[in-house]
Amino acid sequence: MDFRLTEEQELIRKNMREFAEKYVDPIAAEIDENSRHPAELFKKLAEGDWMGIPIPQEYGGAGADYLTHTLVVEELSRSCSSTGFTVSIHVGIACMLVNLFGSEDQKKKFLVPMAKGQHLGAFVLTEPGAGTDVMAATTTAMAEGADYVINGTKTFTSNGPTGDTYMVFAWTDKAAGRKGLSAFIVPRGTVGMKAGEHFNKMGLRSSQTSEMVFKDCRVPKENLLGKEGNGLAMAMTGFDHGRVGIAAQSVGILQAALDESIRYSKERVQFGTPIARHQAISWMIADMATDLSAARYLTYAAACLKDQKQPFSKEASMAKLFAAEAAMKHTIKAVQIHGGYGYCKGAKVERLMRDAKITEIYEGTSEAQRMVISGNVLR
Amino acid sequence: MPVLVACFKWVVDEAYIRRTSAGELDLSSVSYKISDYDRNALEEAARMKEASGGSVLAVTVGVPESTKGVKDALSRGADQAFFIADPSFGMLGASETAAILAEVIRTRIGNFDLVLCGEGSSDLYNQQVGIRLAERLGIPCLSFVQKLELEEGRVVAERRLEDGIERVSAPLPAVVTVLPDINIPRIPGVKDTLSASRKPVVTIGKDDLAVAPDAHFRTISLAASRLDRQCERFGADETDIRRFIGALRQKGVLR
Ligand SMILES: Cc1cc2nc3c(=O)[nH]c(=O)nc-3n(C[C@H](O)[C@H](O)[C@H](O)COP(=O)(O)OP(=O)(O)OC[C@H]3O[C@@H](n4cnc5c(N)ncnc54)[C@H](O)[C@@H]3O)c2cc1C
Repeated sequence: MDFRLTEEQELIRKNMREFAEKYVDPIAAEIDENSRHPAELFKKLAEGDWMGIPIPQEYGGAGADYLTHTLVVEELSRSCSSTGFTVSIHVGIACMLVNLFGSEDQKKKFLVPMAKGQHLGAFVLTEPGAGTDVMAATTTAMAEGADYVINGTKTFTSNGPTGDTYMVFAWTDKAAGRKGLSAFIVPRGTVGMKAGEHFNKMGLRSSQTSEMVFKDCRVPKENLLGKEGNGLAMAMTGFDHGRVGIAAQSVGILQAALDESIRYSKERVQFGTPIARHQAISWMIADMATDLSAARYLTYAAACLKDQKQPFSKEASMAKLFAAEAAMKHTIKAVQIHGGYGYCKGAKVERLMRDAKITEIYEGTSEAQRMVISGNVLR
Repeated sequence: MPVLVACFKWVVDEAYIRRTSAGELDLSSVSYKISDYDRNALEEAARMKEASGGSVLAVTVGVPESTKGVKDALSRGADQAFFIADPSFGMLGASETAAILAEVIRTRIGNFDLVLCGEGSSDLYNQQVGIRLAERLGIPCLSFVQKLELEEGRVVAERRLEDGIERVSAPLPAVVTVLPDINIPRIPGVKDTLSASRKPVVTIGKDDLAVAPDAHFRTISLAASRLDRQCERFGADETDIRRFIGALRQKGVLR
């Protein structure tokens, strides 16, 4: 077993680290505070081919593997997890869905600008009454002549207010149950689709989250993604890929928490000695470092399985579950290590703790991951 | 179309060097990087090529493990690399490095216009290799360069000196050693890194060289520098200033 990254992967990680230190670190606190989508940063990300790493070059991507994308999400999230997540959901779900299930025409029309980072993708599944229970959705898409007409209300759409290309899930045949959901590519500006105001969130604040309202929204039949009735299966495949990204996001948060905790505990002196010398603190850091390694290996292993074209659904859930819970647990510890200073704005650990919480919720809550995993191992 | 040669060294990234509680340097988990000013040399060569055509050849002397450095250089705009490698090349002195570079540049490249080096390396900062290389090649050398242009067979450069800025020119071929102010090196994009692996690399071993430099340097020990603090505080009033002077006298700093 070889746990080494390739030279290219190491260089790309190093370059992303430098990029993040230069362009992301200086604005991370500000975009969090103001809930601002940093369009200027995403332009730079597009220029460096960071927005479509695992997509083939003929479709606008960099043509690298999924692990490389995973490393980049991790390094970005270490500086700003909102930015890491935006890249993750854009690439891991939106681009990936078109890459895997789109027709040649759809790839040329929609995937190329997305993978080049010129268009931002969104994944529109959750509804006010249908979170974990995807089947409770009520949004419908009725065939009418050359079009489908979409009606319904979606919520919690990341990149809702800022997106360009939306993957929208709706019932084409409610009676068909699990085989009744379909997916559509809906470009920004389509009449009848409207994004709401972005939500004022606890964390992940610079990622824009909103409702999406569909009112007699007509999309041509050529915008149906994959086959009619395959929506649920495609959404699950999207989640498999996306969850590796959320795991990477969590690993990035955890690495940042460890970096901050090491630095601060060596500097802060109480009772005449740096607090790192107090065993209570050093053991917190030992546990943090250990869980970080475990989370990282689970995440990379899931990405490697994907790259080897093996099933990786269970592994993606395990990585996401473990990494997310570790990120939450240890960012709380990181704030603890920083004492009162960690509770104030301006301390990075304060943002890390707020940002960590979402990793246990979206793309399937931790409970939902346990359902996937137990479903797999109890089969 | 100018042929530009950029020399670079693959060095320990000092950000990863740790200091043990015993005051020693811990190099066990270091990473490596292209020496800082050499990145500026590579960048300047790549920009000249992007502006006016030609080709960029990256040359490095180092240990065989430096392959990642070669890819790094190729991802920064170089078209081809010459990788001169031997396990004994980790501890070469400036004169040996210059001798090897000169031989390879003369025999393998031949028709070159400009050689760009960093002013000094991030690890040793001897500021010797560029100048010695020019001497070996028998061509002019312009050091401390912060601005650079090629003009009809000549190189025109701005040199930043202690008491001013000097504008000089020299006939090509020539060697320049550049300061970090000359440019801001790019951060290679993903495709730049991926395509680096497909660019040609000429690997040259010790046996392929006519010069047979032996490493004159041996590392006997490495120690962290120490800065001891007394943590005494003084105010700005007269008594404290007197106390401050007294303390300096006592420590032997003032006589
Ligand atoms: C910031 C943010 C961004 C998001 N981005 C997107 C996006 O881009 N696209 C998108 O489609 N969605 C998105 N979501 C939605 C997200 O995926 C859902 O919030 C998530 O799936 C949970 O759904 P819910 O919020 O309705 O919670 P619910 O499903 O109502 O769950 C509430 C609680 O009950 C638990 N629970 C539910 N069912 C069970 C069960 N059977 N057994 C045990 N426990 C259960 C849950 O784990 C949770 O703890 C986003 C959400 C947020 C907050």
